[in-house]
Amino acid sequence: MHSLKNASRILKRNGCHKKGLKVSGLKLEPETLNLKQNNMENFTNETIDTKQLPKFEEVQFSVLHPNYWMVTLMSLTVFFLIIGIGGGLALFFNDILTPFVLEFSIAFVCLIVIVLFFSRVGFKKKGFAFRNHDVLFRHGIIATNTLVIPYNRVQHVALHEGLISRFFGLAKIEIFTAGGRSSDIEIPGIAKEEAEKIKQLLMGKIQKQL
Amino acid sequence: MGGDFSQPQRQSIVGIFVMFVYSLQGYAKAFWPILVIWIFKFDEINKGYLLAGTVVFFAVIGVVAYLRYRNFTFYIDPDNDEFIITEGIFNKTKTAIQLHKIQQVNINQSFVQRMVGVYELAVDTAGSNKKEGDIKAISHVLALDLKARLLENDKKIINDDLNIDPIEASSEKQVDADIPFIKISFLSLLKIGITSNYVKSFFVLLAFFITLFDYIKQFTGRDVLQDENIEDYVDESQVSYAFLMLFVIFFLTVIAINLVKTVFTYFDYKIARQKGSLLLSFGLLNTKSTIVKPEKVQITSVTQNFFQKKMNVLELKIKQATGGEKEARKLAIEIPGCNLQEKNAILKLLFKKIPEKGVMLQPNFRKLGFSIFVTIGLPLLVFYIVRDLVVAQMPMIDYLVSFFVVFMGLVQFFIFKNNRVFINDDFIILQSGAWDISNEIIEPSKIQAINVSQLFWHKNINIGSLTLHTAGGNIAFQLGDFTAIKQYVNLWLYEIETSDSNWM
Repeated sequence: MHSLKNASRILKRNGCHKKGLKVSGLKLEPETLNLKQNNMENFTNETIDTKQLPKFEEVQFSVLHPNYWMVTLMSLTVFFLIIGIGGGLALFFNDILTPFVLEFSIAFVCLIVIVLFFSRVGFKKKGFAFRNHDVLFRHGIIATNTLVIPYNRVQHVALHEGLISRFFGLAKIEIFTAGGRSSDIEIPGIAKEEAEKIKQLLMGKIQKQL
Repeated sequence: MGGDFSQPQRQSIVGIFVMFVYSLQGYAKAFWPILVIWIFKFDEINKGYLLAGTVVFFAVIGVVAYLRYRNFTFYIDPDNDEFIITEGIFNKTKTAIQLHKIQQVNINQSFVQRMVGVYELAVDTAGSNKKEGDIKAISHVLALDLKARLLENDKKIINDDLNIDPIEASSEKQVDADIPFIKISFLSLLKIGITSNYVKSFFVLLAFFITLFDYIKQFTGRDVLQDENIEDYVDESQVSYAFLMLFVIFFLTVIAINLVKTVFTYFDYKIARQKGSLLLSFGLLNTKSTIVKPEKVQITSVTQNFFQKKMNVLELKIKQATGGEKEARKLAIEIPGCNLQEKNAILKLLFKKIPEKGVMLQPNFRKLGFSIFVTIGLPLLVFYIVRDLVVAQMPMIDYLVSFFVVFMGLVQFFIFKNNRVFINDDFIILQSGAWDISNEIIEPSKIQAINVSQLFWHKNINIGSLTLHTAGGNIAFQLGDFTAIKQYVNLWLYEIETSDSNWM
């Protein structure tokens, strides 16, 4: 009984009594789905064919803007410059370490190569997709992670422009849920205008869902 | 119903006393090292100054307490439907909480408050990690009244919708509130006390002893652990016997502490039904009462170990929607010592039916291999490297290490054996744990986001991991059949996206 009270309360608050949701060709009234357990006049409960459901794993992901690789390269350059200068000074002024300059240099170069390689792999693997009802973000170097957030669970959307990113006309979209930090999506490397459009789209979706 | 909350009003007049004691406690906590030094050097201090200082100190705290009392007001703004608290002497703070955002209203009573017969009323929303509104001294009648008013908002909307006769509703509420439908017996508490939290209490006790020895060392300049060998007290032949005795005593202390803590915290645990919510109240010295609204429950976990199964007791933990992950653990509401029937009654209230275990998914054996590598393989490798340095000082180290390997191996084996997920139409149940086996229950509609992950070398054998994010924490299942996982993810996404279900 409580769920009935709640469901109708929510529906009333959100003013979506009349609106149905269209999903893969099926017209579903929210009431029907919400009040599965209650006996209602137009109650239907057909078996869902799980094989026919849209598959998240077959979604085509959009890749990040090529300029984002430049952004990554630049921030890495700054990072390694600072480390390199610091390390160089330490080697120069420390008498004990001075004989090992060659070894340290080789190790430093190896580190740069490894980091560059993994950044490249990470950049290649990052991808995003906006479906009709959810947003997907794929990332990860060793493991492939796919994070899916349905639009009706999105709390708010933010647009972030880093210093270097702004120079290349790129922005980052941040999508927040109530599930804490680990369930938020941050999509970097999207062209500014496109990011604005995506944000508008998401806001529209959220508004409609609420 | 008395009490007009539309005008700003102060707390009970005895609130001054409560504020005084709380301020005193605060200062005592901050300055206790100085106090300790004073006590030790009591003879050297000028008594006159000390007396004068103490009087001034108390007077200042008294004035501060009085001003805090004077400046603390609260009221309900009926126009904006907000609960407003103003406080602060120099830094004024005005907290406005929208009534519909209020998640919980707790009425607690600490020992100090019990002495002067007032209660504390704390308002909690999902927004941030700390309690937003906190009234330190309020009479019981007023507290109940205010609580009803603060939570009225929900009821009002429901009543508007369904046109329930208000008289009927209130009488129903009365009946519900008066009869607790579950009371946790003292015996159940005892059972839970001696069978749970071994590991946690062990570390707490260990930390306590280490700090104790540290303090003794600081004050006396003698290191108890180093200077005084156990051989000084017992014969060499009896060292192992003494160790065993020490271990048993240590273990018994752990159990005793657990028992006392459980009884003190959860004494007289009552669960009542109120407007479809659960009303919990418990505590020996500090009585706490909390409301759990079923729709705000995110994760419900049922924990039971072997002994508890034999004694027919278990622990229920309810996680509600919170702002962050760290607080989720703290805000979990525990119901210790229910038996099977009580558990089923509570679950029925929360979910409207008893969750059943559906299709089972088990992790691949590689999960066992990986956890053994991390918990046994890596430590053994480190041990192998440093063994030559340590072995001279501690000849027993080899035995300790082999004991560790066997123990860890058993723990990992049981963790693997117990780890599984049960999925049916309405519930996802994750079973985990080595000794304390817990079943975490969530409804698919509470899912906020889904993360699916696969290591690239697991592609061919088709296994992968799944993390379900809810507003009350995450549920993770590693290295299961990836095809099945993907199929369920698609199903859950479909269910979430086609319904506007209320997750909070």
